[in-house]
Amino acid sequence: MAISSTITTPTTGSPGPGGFFVTLAIALFIMLAGIVVSVVCAVAVFAALNAILPDIKLVQAVLVMLLGVAACFGYFWGSNRILDTIYPAHGARIADNINKANSIRPWLFLGPAVVILGVYLVYPVVNSIFLSFHGPDGRQWVGGANYAWLVTDAAFRESMFNNILWLLVVPAAATFFGLIAAALTDRIGWGNLAKSLIFMPMAISFVGASVIWKFIYDYRPQGTEQIGLLNAIVTFFGGEPQAWITLPLWNSFFLMVILIWIQTGFAMVILSAALRGIPEETIEAAIIDGASPLQIFYKIKVPQIWGTIAVVWTTITILVLKVFDIVLAMTNGQWGSQVLANYMFDWMFRGLDFGRASTIALVIMAMVTPIMIWNIREARKDMK
Amino acid sequence: MSTVVGSRPALTWAVHLAVLFLVALWTLPTLGILVSSLRDKDQLAISGWWTALTASERNLVARAAPPEDAQPEGGRWVLTGNVFNGDGAAAAFGVSSREPSAFAAGDTAELGDGATVTVEANGDYVIAYPEKPDGKRGQRIFISSVEPPKFTTENYENVLFSEGLGKSFINTMTVTIPATVIPILIAAYAAYALAWMEFPGRALLLATIVGLLVVPLQMSLIPLLRLYNEVGIGKSFIGIWLAHTGFGLPLAIYLLRNYMAGLPREIIESAKVDGASDFEIFRKIILPLSFPALASFAIFQFLWTWNDLLVATVFLGNNEEQLVLTGRLRELLGSRGGNWEILTASAFVAIIVPILVFFAMQRYLVRGLLAGSVKGG
Amino acid sequence: MKTSMLAGAVALALSCSAAHAADLKFAPGEDARFNWKSFEDFKAAHDFSGQEMSLFGPWLSSDKDLIESVTAYFEEATGATVNYSGSDSFEQQIVIDTQAGSAPNVAVFPQPGLASDLASKGLLVPLGNETADWMKENYAAGQSWVDLGTYKGTDGTDSFFAFAYKADVKSLVWYVPENLEDAGYEVPQTMEELKALSEQIVADGETPWCIGLGSGGATGWPATDWVEDMMLRTQPPEVYDQWVKNEIPFDDDRIVAAIDEFGTFAKNDKYVDGGAGAVVSTDFRDSPKGLFASPPKCYLHHQASFIPSFFPEGTELGRDADFFYFPAYAEKDLGTPVLGAGTLFAITKDSEVARAFIDFLKTPIAHEVWMAQAGFLTPLKSANPEAYANDALRKQGEILTNATTFRFDGSDLMPGKIGAGAFWTGMIDYVGGKAAKEVGADIQKEWDAIK
Repeated sequence: MAISSTITTPTTGSPGPGGFFVTLAIALFIMLAGIVVSVVCAVAVFAALNAILPDIKLVQAVLVMLLGVAACFGYFWGSNRILDTIYPAHGARIADNINKANSIRPWLFLGPAVVILGVYLVYPVVNSIFLSFHGPDGRQWVGGANYAWLVTDAAFRESMFNNILWLLVVPAAATFFGLIAAALTDRIGWGNLAKSLIFMPMAISFVGASVIWKFIYDYRPQGTEQIGLLNAIVTFFGGEPQAWITLPLWNSFFLMVILIWIQTGFAMVILSAALRGIPEETIEAAIIDGASPLQIFYKIKVPQIWGTIAVVWTTITILVLKVFDIVLAMTNGQWGSQVLANYMFDWMFRGLDFGRASTIALVIMAMVTPIMIWNIREARKDMK
Repeated sequence: MSTVVGSRPALTWAVHLAVLFLVALWTLPTLGILVSSLRDKDQLAISGWWTALTASERNLVARAAPPEDAQPEGGRWVLTGNVFNGDGAAAAFGVSSREPSAFAAGDTAELGDGATVTVEANGDYVIAYPEKPDGKRGQRIFISSVEPPKFTTENYENVLFSEGLGKSFINTMTVTIPATVIPILIAAYAAYALAWMEFPGRALLLATIVGLLVVPLQMSLIPLLRLYNEVGIGKSFIGIWLAHTGFGLPLAIYLLRNYMAGLPREIIESAKVDGASDFEIFRKIILPLSFPALASFAIFQFLWTWNDLLVATVFLGNNEEQLVLTGRLRELLGSRGGNWEILTASAFVAIIVPILVFFAMQRYLVRGLLAGSVKGG
Repeated sequence: MKTSMLAGAVALALSCSAAHAADLKFAPGEDARFNWKSFEDFKAAHDFSGQEMSLFGPWLSSDKDLIESVTAYFEEATGATVNYSGSDSFEQQIVIDTQAGSAPNVAVFPQPGLASDLASKGLLVPLGNETADWMKENYAAGQSWVDLGTYKGTDGTDSFFAFAYKADVKSLVWYVPENLEDAGYEVPQTMEELKALSEQIVADGETPWCIGLGSGGATGWPATDWVEDMMLRTQPPEVYDQWVKNEIPFDDDRIVAAIDEFGTFAKNDKYVDGGAGAVVSTDFRDSPKGLFASPPKCYLHHQASFIPSFFPEGTELGRDADFFYFPAYAEKDLGTPVLGAGTLFAITKDSEVARAFIDFLKTPIAHEVWMAQAGFLTPLKSANPEAYANDALRKQGEILTNATTFRFDGSDLMPGKIGAGAFWTGMIDYVGGKAAKEVGADIQKEWDAIK
């Protein structure tokens, strides 16, 4: 028991601030050395093998995959070994060594991820913050002018409004349908087939999806035969055909349907796994108590997978914040359907104003803050 | 559970019907382009795909052979031919755009100057001139016909063989394979550290990763490509593998950490009591137990990289040697926007592989997910 | 050590794209329509054996084959290799590539506005006064072409950056000759006659026009061509120039009047197939198909010279379809103005070969090879009009050379946010029922925001 407590709480006997920096330096050193050595080895092997193997792209891809996996394992195994050599878990200072090794090891595990995240995501964010205080070409300091502009911009308000609509509707609808689909398909024999079919839209690119949905929303003037399904149904019941994606406000919902259609599969797969993981005993107990299937679902099952529902919700919410492909392909923000991500894209490539584009990007990022705070609180809960 | 359902047949039926309804709703749009891609291109543009199995009425304009080709026959100059390329049944015909169906099939219409034209129901036409005619412009004949439903694989042949899709297919595979596998491993270690190792700043790091989930990709394109050019990677497959790894990592870490944090604490603590190191715990306990989560993330990452367009257009060139499938599809959309048959067929070609992969992996997915107890959160 | 190995691996990872010199379309020296001397002279003066040059443009599929048929002659003459790549998201890609430092040697801009933006950021290389002077002399209406490629650089002074090569005519009306014959209509010579014809067709119980503004995310652009054509037919060219530079506001009465001229066609339910409501949602690619329907859905279609690619398969120009010049008002003494567009070649990464390539575009042969195939018009005076592949092209070439006023597509000259954004959206709103004055004010507001 005594050992386990020292292991799980390694910070207790940790050295002072000076020692912390020594630890950090060692961690950094091992991490970087490990990354460099494994990458260099992988590249060398790749270069050597490539000279022998035929010049076929697929062969190279498989080779890269294998070497990449090998390099990863090599790094994690190697850096772990180095750490154990520096602080051996035996000898006179065993307790101290274990403590030190344990305070370094997490950083070795995190190392490659942190480096890649730093380069691919943190660096661009810092760059955006810098640009948001500069003019269109990123050279001239303009202070808060871009932010001031944003507040007065009508198109920005429109995008903000639409984005909030998307945030309210899409994650809720996709999670709801996903949950229903997961719960129902688990009860029937052909559930796996049904799941696969509902999941199918996930496998379709946004470009493909926009082709598919053109056949739903297509509009031909009244009197000619409709080739869009929705208008065919409307005219069949005697209605007037509509150019759906040009109807302000409504068009946002028609675009949302596409994303819901795609994301329901994602929600279903994850929620179905969670539903299956619910301990049988709790359900059996409820059955004995005479609960109806509906009651079991809402009162027993849903509360138990609440955490997973939240993860799905979060993931889809984040996706919605970033959605631009669908809007770009279907309306490009016209007819009042603009959303933030597409508006940013517009300022970046059509307006060629990196300052304003960056400012909009930072707003998108700021919108995720509540989700971040909530996730930290959840994480704190299960760490305890 | 099955006992509950079994005891209420009405409920069972309701469940079956509800699922059937959901499935129908979700597959209908895709079914639409599958059917469309197999239809004849002329029918595709004028009638809904759901009418594919019924005969369609069409008005078409055919052009007879040039008058100068007329042959003398019984004192008149005669041109013969058929207005249809394939099958068809003419109901009515006309010779002026103002009255395209003025005459019933088999009737004779006046063309002026004593010339006449007769169109039979099978499409055979006879034009007779009193004098030897000249001119290169053939007479227009307007036909109202009933066409049987036509299906063809020609659209697929066009797409697969003449539009360079094959090469793009290989490019996409080349991008996808390493970009799917590598991030998972890196993320798994990081996720374990975040879920089960204690160190200062853990909550902050997790929050940062959640925050990074939402970084708009567009913002990172120019700084990263600039970096690539400075380092000397430029536009290459290496660059795009790394980019997909970077962009996929936050979600991978987020999902995997949530999964790993839900694994039973007792197993890990007892292993620690037995003196196992974190590295051993990860390799021998966590990794096998998280296999289902790894598999499901692999599917998602595969789908994203397969379907990605933005990252590929920026970090890979646009030339024939590097163009990926979604890029090809987009170019077809742009340059062949009017050709629905090309669009539908190529869209379907692009989605068929991800769907196959999913069908192949999903058995795995469900089985794997059952193995671990997911508490969630 | 590490970088060099990485670079090695990268070089290996990039599959080598073997240079494939396309066969020359027309054998040098054989066809008298071509100016082979210019080819031989250029060949004698340049040798870049083994060198490469990248060319990036918006052309895909068949257009891509055409530009490659031209570059093949450059390759043959100099021994250099030209790697052309095309993208339909050219506008975004060129921004990313030039900003990030992976620019191609030469880029082909469909919009002068974009080239001007890049020039102001120092991302284009000036072509020099010599080339500008050459263009002034050798192109019909040379000065206007020079102006098109002259932009402010980083230091704020004007330089010549972009070389116009390949022009399109936009002021065309397409029709099916036999349909007009069947109904006994004549091809109109003046705007008054065109309007009278439209009325006549309506009176006969038919619909004169097919108008489609749909183009996915770019919906609205065909309307900008209409408005520009109307501007040139109601106002002198100077007003047009002031308008595209925003020296007069977008809601100026003269501009509002031009927009309303477009409205007399597009916002009239009787004039347009499907009614005014169908204008915005009909795809511009599907729109001309109404001409060929049986019975015809419409008789006239206003669109640029590229539109025959979207005609039904097998349509033969001259027999099944034809075009006439979108006429000017007889009473308004503004001559025969022509609206056009074209592509501009600019050097985005300087090299000897890139410079030589621009020089190559000055040779008649570089124009004639494309003229002899499809969809290419040139203002180059020394190019032989006999080389045009067909009568339709030659006729368009004549419209171009007979123009008393030639103006470039205004929406392409405006900043991207306006010409490829607010203007489109404004036109959608206008056709949707908003008043022209209001639409103009909206666009002006956006223009003010980017100043």
